[in-house]
Amino acid sequence: MSASRRRFLQGVTAAALFPSQLPRARAQGYAASKRTLKAVMQADLRSFDPVWTTATITGSHAALVYDTLFGLDEQQAPKGQMVGRYGVSDDKLTYTFELRDGLRFSDGSPVTSADCVASMRRWAARDLAGQVLFQTVADTPTRDDKTFQIVLRERYGLVLDTLGKTSNSLWIMRKKEAETDPTQQITEIIGSGPFVFNRNATKMGATYVYDRNEAYRPRGEAPSGTTGAKIAKLDRIVWENMADEQTAIAALQAGEIDFYETPPIEFVDQLETDPGVKIDVLNKLGNLGFIRLNWLHPPFNNQKAREAMLYVVNQADVMKAAFGNEKYFRTCSSLFGCGTNMENHENVGWFEHGQDLKRAATLFKEAGYDGRPVVILQPTNLAPLNTTAQLVAEWLKQSGINVQLAASDWGGVVARRAVQAPPEQGGWNIFASWNPTSTFASPISFPGHAANGTKGFIGWPENAEWEASRRAWTRAETLSERQEIAKKMQANGWNFVPETLTGQFVAPVAYRANIKGFLRIPDLIPFWNVEKA
Amino acid sequence: MLRVIFSRIGSIAIVMLLVALMVFSLIHMAPGDPAAIIAGDNASSEQIASIRERLGLSDPLPLQFFRWSFAAIRGDLGVSIFSGVPVFGLIRERIEPTVSLTAITIIIALMIAVAAGVLAAANAGTWIDRAVMALSILGFSAPIFVVGYVLIYVFAIQLKWFPVQGYTPLGAGALDWLRHLVLPALSLGLAYVALIARITRTAMLDVLAEDYIRTAKAKGVAPHRVLIKHALRNAGIPIVTIVGIGVALLIGGVVITESVFNIPGVGRLVVDAISKRDYPIIQGVTLVFSAVYVLINLMVDLSYGLIDPRIGRQ
Repeated sequence: MSASRRRFLQGVTAAALFPSQLPRARAQGYAASKRTLKAVMQADLRSFDPVWTTATITGSHAALVYDTLFGLDEQQAPKGQMVGRYGVSDDKLTYTFELRDGLRFSDGSPVTSADCVASMRRWAARDLAGQVLFQTVADTPTRDDKTFQIVLRERYGLVLDTLGKTSNSLWIMRKKEAETDPTQQITEIIGSGPFVFNRNATKMGATYVYDRNEAYRPRGEAPSGTTGAKIAKLDRIVWENMADEQTAIAALQAGEIDFYETPPIEFVDQLETDPGVKIDVLNKLGNLGFIRLNWLHPPFNNQKAREAMLYVVNQADVMKAAFGNEKYFRTCSSLFGCGTNMENHENVGWFEHGQDLKRAATLFKEAGYDGRPVVILQPTNLAPLNTTAQLVAEWLKQSGINVQLAASDWGGVVARRAVQAPPEQGGWNIFASWNPTSTFASPISFPGHAANGTKGFIGWPENAEWEASRRAWTRAETLSERQEIAKKMQANGWNFVPETLTGQFVAPVAYRANIKGFLRIPDLIPFWNVEKA
Repeated sequence: MLRVIFSRIGSIAIVMLLVALMVFSLIHMAPGDPAAIIAGDNASSEQIASIRERLGLSDPLPLQFFRWSFAAIRGDLGVSIFSGVPVFGLIRERIEPTVSLTAITIIIALMIAVAAGVLAAANAGTWIDRAVMALSILGFSAPIFVVGYVLIYVFAIQLKWFPVQGYTPLGAGALDWLRHLVLPALSLGLAYVALIARITRTAMLDVLAEDYIRTAKAKGVAPHRVLIKHALRNAGIPIVTIVGIGVALLIGGVVITESVFNIPGVGRLVVDAISKRDYPIIQGVTLVFSAVYVLINLMVDLSYGLIDPRIGRQ
């Protein structure tokens, strides 16, 4: 008894006397091991089902666990991924696909054409581009375990692009999961991607664990975009859900985590001075900020009022206030994003003219604005959007508008923005957000590009000519044809004003200097090919 | 005594029913349709209607309330809207870090605060008293997250004595478990220390002015025995009361501390759920926190009888 008490006292005394000796050894132990990469992603992984949700974080989860039939290379050209050989009939109505040899799910079962067809049908029930594609699909027969077809009723120019797109991609699941009602979530996460989701080691809302899929067979080609070899060079990837940005920065600097997807822009300068940390822009296209106007209620049910908003917003000021560092933003007048292959400069006189609050005031008067409060949704917990809301409110006040800022957290904005009732009954007039620029490039991928009224995206714009152009865009067979249609769409778009833009920005990522191999893919953070020195 | 216990349990049931009603009402008064949030931006109105139907959100509110409360009594707090995981399981998974953090905080706080309060009272009016009171004002004034960031900067970044963030379960090693909890417990405990130290000092000063203390001193009882045995025990009731009330303070602080130190506890769970509008989790955690608070107050009430046998006899 006395011996153990003495030993205890010795231990306590040693810890008290030599605290600086012991912790140094401990601190080394806190760093992630060499075969494990610890990452803090942009958000918590709310759902594991990439069909059920469009959340970008779920896309990155799916990129680890699942694989796709096609991918897009760095030039955005579709190339086979799980598909080995493929061809199209002379009338361009029948596409035939053959799966590569040796594809297996992580439970050991082979990937079959039945899995692919079921996955495709479930995805097409939710995904916008998938829905548009399947409006032309007559049948999806399977020829054998490795071969299946897409039979079209009419020609469709974007079959392979749609199957290979990088946002809300078509991920191949087992038929068992793929037959789940698309409005319900899948419960088992079994894919054929380079990593396997480790449910036992995962703690929901805190830690998500992915282990290397030993059975994965990568392609032989060099990686390019989401095409080519996807090689898992790490044994384990751990996503830590870290709510506090300062803590994440400190953890990165201390080497407790290896990768931080969204370091706040105000900390980037500080991180750049740390030799142990590297700042990088993986998604060069970045995100495009936009302001949605509610078409259902005054004043923005009037075209003049919407046009006025083009003269209210000063993109450079919004970007400067929200992001500060000019290295990471630019102004943009294209409805299809800047730097995309649909970017164009049709009908952008408002942009060249610049902010003009007097003109905006005149246009609001012409729209018959009667002084009723204009409600702006203000997410106070998202700094860039909070700033945007405040700036727009100030400019509107200067344009003679009675403004009411509706402050809440982002969750509150998401709940309220879906309300179609008038602003005084819980609805709204203006809300700002952003989306990956790559999605803007496709008139059918970004929900905000729909102008089909109350059935469409929040704000509910309606324009028949625009909708007809969207359909024509999907039927076009060449890039130049699509670019021509995009020009016509934009010329019309800036007349009826489905939304206004607030600028384009990139979000730098931060990682430990000993990490290398990140691929530059819009919309996804892929961890395949990434290694730790 | 048994009658007291049963009557308290009866009042707890009424309190919990009211809490459940309030939690349920607040959640349903919040703007927005959970079905639309679940469905996402691309969903059709038919898909939203189907989700609403499946979740029973189209049913009358009283029916929804009774269904939810009866399930809660059976331990079924529903499933997370987003992850589909049972809320009870999520809370159970997260309870260990929160209990660990709270327990370590209470232990550290009581050790420091009671000693500081007794010391201040025993040296009332001196520089020691003024120093303890000044530190307690600092403890009240410094926000938890500021204290947390300062501790991280000094002890984790600069000195590298402790990890910046995270949690190691007790089962994975007691020393590592403790190392991960020292900084969070110090941040969380500072306000708690200040509160208990002030109450201890005031209660001690009241007791030290009593006749029986003067008598004890006149009889030649050693000063430390007068302080600890005669004064502190009799000052126990306000101290225990404030420890109980302070648990509410701790529960609020746990939410912030767990976020700052990235501890996967119940506090983080509810913060994440609020930001996502995951209503079943918000309801479940609020109910559990309320139950814990009510139970702690019951324990505080019952402890009065142990501290002062006269109360037990009444």
